[in-house]
Amino acid sequence: MAEMTFYSGFVIPFIVGTSVLFAVILYKYMRWMVRLPREDKRLVRRGVFSRATAEAIWESVAECLLHRRIWKVNPLLGYMHTAFALGWFLLIVVGWAETAAYLGGRLVPLQGHIFFKYFTTSLDHAPRWGVDFEAVMDLLLLYVLSGLALALFKRIRSRALGMRRTTRLTFGDRVALTSLWFVFPMRLLAESATSGIYGSGGFLTGSLGGALVSTMPAASMASFETAAWWGYSVALGVFFVSMPFSRYMHIFTEVPLIFLRRWGLRSGETEKSFDHFQIEACSRCGVCIDPCQMQRDAGVTNVQAAYFIRDRRYGKLTREVADNCLMCGRCEGRCPVGIGVNALRLNSRHSLNGTPADGRYDYVKGLDTSTGSRVFEGAGCEIGYSMKQGRVGFYAGCMTLLSPRILKAMEVIFAAAGEDVWWADRNGGVCCGRPLKLSGDVEAARDMMRFNEGLFRRHGITVLVTSCPICLRVFREDYALEGIEVLHHSEYFERLLSEGRIALSASDDGGLLAYHDPCELGRGCGIYNAPRNLLHAVADLVEPTETRENALCCGSSIANIHLPGAGQLAIGRAVGSAFEATGATEIVTACPLCKKALTRGTDLPVSDLAEVVERHLKVAR
Amino acid sequence: MGAINFGYTVSAARAIDLDRNDLGPARQIAAEMPEFAACIACGGCTATCTAGALTNFNFRMVQTLVRRGEYAGAWREMNKCMLCGKCRLVCPRGINTRGVVRLIKRKLGDY
Repeated sequence: MAEMTFYSGFVIPFIVGTSVLFAVILYKYMRWMVRLPREDKRLVRRGVFSRATAEAIWESVAECLLHRRIWKVNPLLGYMHTAFALGWFLLIVVGWAETAAYLGGRLVPLQGHIFFKYFTTSLDHAPRWGVDFEAVMDLLLLYVLSGLALALFKRIRSRALGMRRTTRLTFGDRVALTSLWFVFPMRLLAESATSGIYGSGGFLTGSLGGALVSTMPAASMASFETAAWWGYSVALGVFFVSMPFSRYMHIFTEVPLIFLRRWGLRSGETEKSFDHFQIEACSRCGVCIDPCQMQRDAGVTNVQAAYFIRDRRYGKLTREVADNCLMCGRCEGRCPVGIGVNALRLNSRHSLNGTPADGRYDYVKGLDTSTGSRVFEGAGCEIGYSMKQGRVGFYAGCMTLLSPRILKAMEVIFAAAGEDVWWADRNGGVCCGRPLKLSGDVEAARDMMRFNEGLFRRHGITVLVTSCPICLRVFREDYALEGIEVLHHSEYFERLLSEGRIALSASDDGGLLAYHDPCELGRGCGIYNAPRNLLHAVADLVEPTETRENALCCGSSIANIHLPGAGQLAIGRAVGSAFEATGATEIVTACPLCKKALTRGTDLPVSDLAEVVERHLKVAR
Repeated sequence: MGAINFGYTVSAARAIDLDRNDLGPARQIAAEMPEFAACIACGGCTATCTAGALTNFNFRMVQTLVRRGEYAGAWREMNKCMLCGKCRLVCPRGINTRGVVRLIKRKLGDY
């Protein structure tokens, strides 16, 4: 077998492509790893030899090869992605095994593996190791080609694969996509030609080769073979060169992302090196586009996660694209790669909009507008009072202050439960800081957070109740409130009910309630059941088609500073009609902002959970 | 020869000559956010303002001054806003007030 040189002119495009691919990828990964902040590097060191690594290996197999999460979106879409990933992976692995089976331990250059059929025509292709490699390789090629057929079909009818809209591709993506689509048909033609000439090949390449030989004279068959191998190599070369600069960078990048994420790395308030792994792991598959209400209802089609990440990756991110998003998190929940797009968007906003705090909120210093039942009993009382333990504080938040009915309901419920409440901001207070944080002004937001923290501590509360999910989320995520339990009012009511401090009577008016999950409460804080349990206790409950983790956003999210009123209204109306379709007689939500937004979007009455609880309070006899 | 001190003086003119104001930045703001010009100065925003309850911040006043081309102090005033968004909910003209705040700050950072 000494005549096997494993070299022919046509391998050059492949070798150049592979070299460029690995050089660029290695350069990128090294650079991003070196630039990781010190804390992240520590997490990596701690994580490498831990259980997390084993879990990451399994997740890499399940996601990068099997694409488990895409199967959950749509089985056909899952099949398509798996056919490309797993099929190609197995072609490579089984191809190496084939080389080893026929050539033993002999060192074979890379192109020898890839263009095995071309270089080993002198071999007899009888099964080795008990495996009919030609048949297996043909089967795998057929598997990939079936995925390719689906991909072509998806171009014509994406709905059949569960996607109403697909991603608009960049020029680079199109080059990569076209070359990728040529790789496998060219491989089929090349291997078939060689098989036909030398009478080898499996059920696919063998029979196609035979057909080719019978239709072509020998001389043109030889040039056809050369052309086909050249075509195959050029397709591979072009794909490999374009890969690190296109959406296909995700093929490799998802693996380090999974490992780093398992080791505990996350994107933060400000941009950092880890973000690159998230950004370049996005394949722009477009699963994020359909659930986006900005696209669906407000007609904004350039801000979706895939486009935001694309723009940021290529340095073309505009304020508009970064800002014009409700941050409802519906896309994040469906991302097959698990990219934390909201965190990325937030730190982009920080880079684009963030300004130094400059002490601009110094005017809040020393302010205290709080009230409590006994705070005003006499001089010095407040200080003595703050020492008392077991106190419940209530923080209404700006939006509740704008909804006096919720405030009134809270008052009645607190009185019914006999709770001695400290009201943090009933007469106007300082904003929780989340709106500023969401707009990218992280430093200034921190000033506000520290102010409120100090206020809560000074009054010695042990439980902090809020009726606003926006405040709730920032209290839980960004405030240092050790020793103070932070509860949403739904959780607090549930506790009062289970402790027997309030009792609710079921209504008998035949009303049918539908509950709207606020984004910040549901996807934000994971609270889905507390409000539903309370509502179940008083009336029948129906669910809209998109609910819980999948719930719609009201459209007036504080996170979108760009969307004009018409867009907010369009989204609110769409949500309103989704609720009207359930046959409910009343919509209940647990967020004052959602309440206002939904009221504008429907003719159905909209209430806050607190109002419903108040309405059904059983008065103690 | 100093002027005779009568114990009172003539006040400086308080007339505002709008024709002499530089309306460039105001026009730029209105071009980016046309709704900026839709304000009817009802004052709902100011009445509901979280920051306005704690300081003398007055969104209606600042944005009216900016529309007239009187930018002095606008940026410093707008910095008091906490972006809580109540004003946007009460605005009868549906103006994206938070967007206006940010735009004014961005355009008038120098004044």
